[in-house]
Amino acid sequence: MGGFWIYGQRREGGFHPVVYELLSVAREFAPRLSAEPTVVVLGDEGVREAAEDLIAHGARRVLLLMHPELKDFRDEVYAEVLAGEVRERAPEVFLFGATAEGQALAPRLAGLLGLGLTAHCTAFEVDEEGCFVQVRPSFGETVMARIVSRTRPQMATVWPGVFRRAGRVENPEGMVEEVKLSGVPRSRVRRRKIRELPRRENPLSGARVVVAGGRGLLTKENFAKLFELAELLRGAVGATRPVCHLGWVSEEHMIGVSGQTVAPKLYLGFGISGALQHTVGMEGSEVVVAVNTDPEAPLMKRADIAVVGDATRILPLLIRRISEVKG
Amino acid sequence: MHLIVCLKPVPRPGTVRVDPETHTLRRESAELVINPPDLYALEMAVELKERYGGKVSALMMGPPNAGPLLKEAFTLGADEMVLLSDRAFAGSDTLATSYALSRGIARLEPFDLVLMGKASVDGETAQVGPETAAWLELPSLTQVTRILREGDLFVAERLLDGYLEEVEFSGPAVLTVEPETVTLRPPSLKRMLAVRGLEPRVFSAADLGCDPERLGLSGSPTQVLSVFSPEAQKERLVLSGEPEEVVDRLVSALRKQGLL
Repeated sequence: MGGFWIYGQRREGGFHPVVYELLSVAREFAPRLSAEPTVVVLGDEGVREAAEDLIAHGARRVLLLMHPELKDFRDEVYAEVLAGEVRERAPEVFLFGATAEGQALAPRLAGLLGLGLTAHCTAFEVDEEGCFVQVRPSFGETVMARIVSRTRPQMATVWPGVFRRAGRVENPEGMVEEVKLSGVPRSRVRRRKIRELPRRENPLSGARVVVAGGRGLLTKENFAKLFELAELLRGAVGATRPVCHLGWVSEEHMIGVSGQTVAPKLYLGFGISGALQHTVGMEGSEVVVAVNTDPEAPLMKRADIAVVGDATRILPLLIRRISEVKG
Repeated sequence: MHLIVCLKPVPRPGTVRVDPETHTLRRESAELVINPPDLYALEMAVELKERYGGKVSALMMGPPNAGPLLKEAFTLGADEMVLLSDRAFAGSDTLATSYALSRGIARLEPFDLVLMGKASVDGETAQVGPETAAWLELPSLTQVTRILREGDLFVAERLLDGYLEEVEFSGPAVLTVEPETVTLRPPSLKRMLAVRGLEPRVFSAADLGCDPERLGLSGSPTQVLSVFSPEAQKERLVLSGEPEEVVDRLVSALRKQGLL
């Protein structure tokens, strides 16, 4: 039976949450590919402790690749070790969380083995031929692309937070396979030290109301008015990627593929056309209001309330009107 | 010290037209700019050069008309301009792209570091840096925030999932640079004058000794099967007319739904 592999990124004695999210993907799709949901973990012998928890969440196999030199993540060494296992065991699928570590490791492994790698998938399918299909927003367009690789394993990365975490299974059935590696390649990069960065509260997380702006607001000054509206509505300000790159607002306000995912009760988008790169990050919004001169813009079409008009004029009027009614 | 910076030409946001029938990009209509995150890699390389001496080579894979972007890189501090351009590169996914780049980089040996942006704003995969390192059999470091020299060693800091890791290595290595970790500077007037009359060196796939099977569509394992539009939805309210009136109706609709 082929393997449906997940990279088991470790974190603080356990695993990164994205590992459990990928496990829910594995549980859904592995049976349809006649493959075995497998989590591959690299580390020293300390990794044994958390392995059972993966079985409890539906992994059928946990492959522990152990060596004292694997205690800390090292790009070169981890990629070499995984390349050896992939060559030997020939899994069907290999998924990685699009964490910093996953994004450092997966492409290095793909490069070593000459494999295709689909970045940041938002959905998966199995087609009529039993092929594992990766779905992702396509290049800033308003379409999704279905992608497969000619090579095996099919490799893909997935942003944390896109899939639900796998729950516990009632009767866990799975085995932990321990492999004590006799040697690992040397890393040419040596870690001197590592320190945790202070966590900053993201302004968007948990916001009940999100007011977001795109290039249709035309200037940084117009964009700044969103902060007034957000304050009135006790909400947070979101932005599309282009306006972050234009420097209108910092990247922590970015919503979408490379930014935050939001699910407010009310989302208001000003001058946002609605490229998928943005909308995948706000799909969970309960009520969507879009303001745009183009009634055919994708966000206007998917909005619950589509306001046809110039966002630069509507925004100040709306601020005034809401101050009046809330006054 | 020889620093190679890889720059990607990307369509200026808003200049790409999507064909409404085929959903494909009409790239020919797009105006090209240097991928904005790559400018931080260029600036980091130029700062290293200013501090420790040496030269910066700007390397770009792109269409023949991408030359002006390399000249722009020159005005920002690059010393050499190298364009990899060949129809055989068209249709390359990240694996085939990183292969071609690795051949171009090898052509510029010896070098101390290769720097790239964290990701491109069009593809957004962040894959090409580590993939290129794999082809070159060099160490890769992603999301680098700082780099300096201590004796014979490089010392770098990188972001790693909420942590900052400090590492040392003797080079060469391939680095991707975290945006906004250096301050971009405007082009220098002296360099704007100096670049006049200069043209990038252009290498074709054959010049680089590329294996044609590893380029373009044949060198790209990933294939797009189809594209589709996500389903649009339920009933919606469309408001149009005079802005004042539209705003009143919007506020009223939101109030009725208990959203204000």
